[in-house]
Amino acid sequence: MSFQGLISGSECAAPANPLSQVLKHTEGDRSLQQDRLSGPSTSRLHQLPGTSAPVAANEQDLALARQFFEGNSGGRGIAHGYPMQHPADLGRMNEMNFGPGMSDAWSMQQQQHMRAMEESAKVNWANEFGNAAQLNGSSSSASASQQALPSRPDYQQRTSYIPPVHGNMMPMGMYGANPAMQYGLNSSFNQQVDHGKGKGKQVDYEAAFAQFADSFGPTETQTSRIEEVDDSVANIEEALKNASLEGEGEEAGMDFQKVWDQLQNSDLPPPKEDMAKWEAEFSQMMNAQRDELEDYGTSMQNAWESGIGNYDDTFGPSIKFDGEGIPILGDYVFEQNNKYLDPSSSRSLLGEAKQLLENNGSLSEAALMLEAAIQQGELGEGGYEAWILLGETRNMDEREEAGMRALLQGVQKAQEAGAAGAGMLSLAISFTNESYDRGSHTMLLRWFRARFPDVKIPEETIKAVSTNSSWDTHGRITELFLDLARTQHAQGTMDPDLQIALGVLFYTNSEYERAQDCFAAALSVRPKDYLLWNRLGSSLSNGNKPEEALGAYREALQLRPTYTRAIYNVGVACLNIGADKEAAEHFLSALSLQESTSGDTSDALWFTLRRALLSMQRNDLADLAKPEAKPNLDVFRREGFDF
Amino acid sequence: MSDDIKAPGFKSSELISGLQTAFSKYSDAEKQAQIKKTNGIFELQVTNDNKETVTWTIDMKKSGTVFKGKATPKADVTIILADDTLVDLASGKLNGQKAFMTGKLKTRGNMMLATKLDGVLNGAKAKL
Repeated sequence: MSFQGLISGSECAAPANPLSQVLKHTEGDRSLQQDRLSGPSTSRLHQLPGTSAPVAANEQDLALARQFFEGNSGGRGIAHGYPMQHPADLGRMNEMNFGPGMSDAWSMQQQQHMRAMEESAKVNWANEFGNAAQLNGSSSSASASQQALPSRPDYQQRTSYIPPVHGNMMPMGMYGANPAMQYGLNSSFNQQVDHGKGKGKQVDYEAAFAQFADSFGPTETQTSRIEEVDDSVANIEEALKNASLEGEGEEAGMDFQKVWDQLQNSDLPPPKEDMAKWEAEFSQMMNAQRDELEDYGTSMQNAWESGIGNYDDTFGPSIKFDGEGIPILGDYVFEQNNKYLDPSSSRSLLGEAKQLLENNGSLSEAALMLEAAIQQGELGEGGYEAWILLGETRNMDEREEAGMRALLQGVQKAQEAGAAGAGMLSLAISFTNESYDRGSHTMLLRWFRARFPDVKIPEETIKAVSTNSSWDTHGRITELFLDLARTQHAQGTMDPDLQIALGVLFYTNSEYERAQDCFAAALSVRPKDYLLWNRLGSSLSNGNKPEEALGAYREALQLRPTYTRAIYNVGVACLNIGADKEAAEHFLSALSLQESTSGDTSDALWFTLRRALLSMQRNDLADLAKPEAKPNLDVFRREGFDF
Repeated sequence: MSDDIKAPGFKSSELISGLQTAFSKYSDAEKQAQIKKTNGIFELQVTNDNKETVTWTIDMKKSGTVFKGKATPKADVTIILADDTLVDLASGKLNGQKAFMTGKLKTRGNMMLATKLDGVLNGAKAKL
């Protein structure tokens, strides 16, 4: 690809040439681009410091982007901003000789970047691809209005990748609800975010230049990497020719080239089969190139395919899932000897259970009442109310398996009754707790559709939930939710349920910091919601902030002292801090609460109590603490545990 | 048995040994629960500062055990990391995702399974 072609390439080549957009507002500092575009050269970087800042982007952009760089360590933010790195590009970069100091840092960065790549789903890239082709047409208008906020819809897809970046570098109050700053950022990114590998590359490019101009030092390796990433799309072809990749790599690169051309020329996002084919080639190429990439390629393929979920029966019957990742659990198992099961009485057990819950009564008792109510046919509104309440109560009581079954029943009945959406969030949360990620995503999507029937959902997203891996679905669904959150914010509203759902999404993906933000946002509107406090606490706890987690749990327990799950979580947090004895005491107090009712106890509590005891090197006690054995808890009291 | 698993010169050796002990003490029900959840065989290739490497296998699919050596049958995921990284992972200082993205952890095989390693090592996870 000639330099001329790059600079003055026709708009349809735009995806391959983000630089064309950059140039339009870069006041034509061609020398730099010339160096960059003409392929790898050692002299390239040396020239950069000498160049005066070519930036025509406004101050705000630069400042923001600079913040981005400074705030960014380990490439995590960048990782999100750049989901995909072209393998060929990597290969090229590999060959490039940046000079002594840089190359080590560079290869390290590359490693990091590889990780970053692996982290972000490959499909994001494919998505981008599809979008890139689509945005082809709108490129000229986009570039023309670069200083102004471009039409939102076009860039919604792009911006979804930006927030994660933002979230990392600047403390964001809430997702999709952060005022001016985010939009300011978005606009600045959007200006440059066109096609090809948008994702704010352009403005980074600017800032990268500026930074290079200002200070050329080892810390700039990061920016240099970003620069290279900018180029990736533009220079793939050129790079492929210039770089001396291994033989196989080159062939693979050519295949990639073909696919690239094909995608460029098509106006629609590539059909699924092509996508899959592309991904296969992509992973093939990755395999061909480097050892580390080998992980990526095959594992991506595996991960991709494993979306269908092949679980084999090994240690006992394992869980079966339906096509959408929902576990098939079987019917709810009612408690034996339920004292409330009295056919002669005419009390409304459902009503009583609700009252008990209102008054902070025992969760186990309430659950028993609800079970009896259901068994006696008192199902509440729509035939689902009692089931959902039972499920939620069981979950609060740290009996997840039972809770899930009840919720599954309830959700189904609600759907039948035309009140779809009820109980779905709770069920999604159960799935997350049990690591059924796909099921969680499916449920969240269903909730979304039930709750916001007017919002249009892309076909691919709906289909993806049935076929693709949870990495893919996570990306898509998060995008969907974030879009709506942002729209709401623009309208000045904030839907706490949406924030909660977003929080659950992030939590499922182990993005605990973001989950914390979401739950905190919801809490600002519902400060007395003990469930929310617990959720915030768990996000903190799993995000390695056990002390703060304890604070959140305490809030939850002040509002609902019988909240078994919160007590369990406090114990877990204690374990994480290393306070084993306290942890054991918490578990024991939760167990004693449960035992004082007529119901059963929670297995999870026993298991974790054992863990705590083992950790204390009290194997004797640990052996006692088995749910099957159900020892008298006084044994523990005698041993000095205070509960 | 627990002596077999230790490897001198590795900080994470104690950890793995502890893990083995803990697992061996799991009741069958507990083991089953963990296996259901994880459903995978992890092979850890740990390298310490002296460039020595030891391989440990955590089988959370068939037997529910931890032992030294390669996995039989073949592991679902092989995780390559440094001694220090493993220690950080288990203590909760570092989570699997971060380790992955900063390149501290490399995988071969089912990458998504590697993200479950946290859970296996830490054991106790807060509930949402």
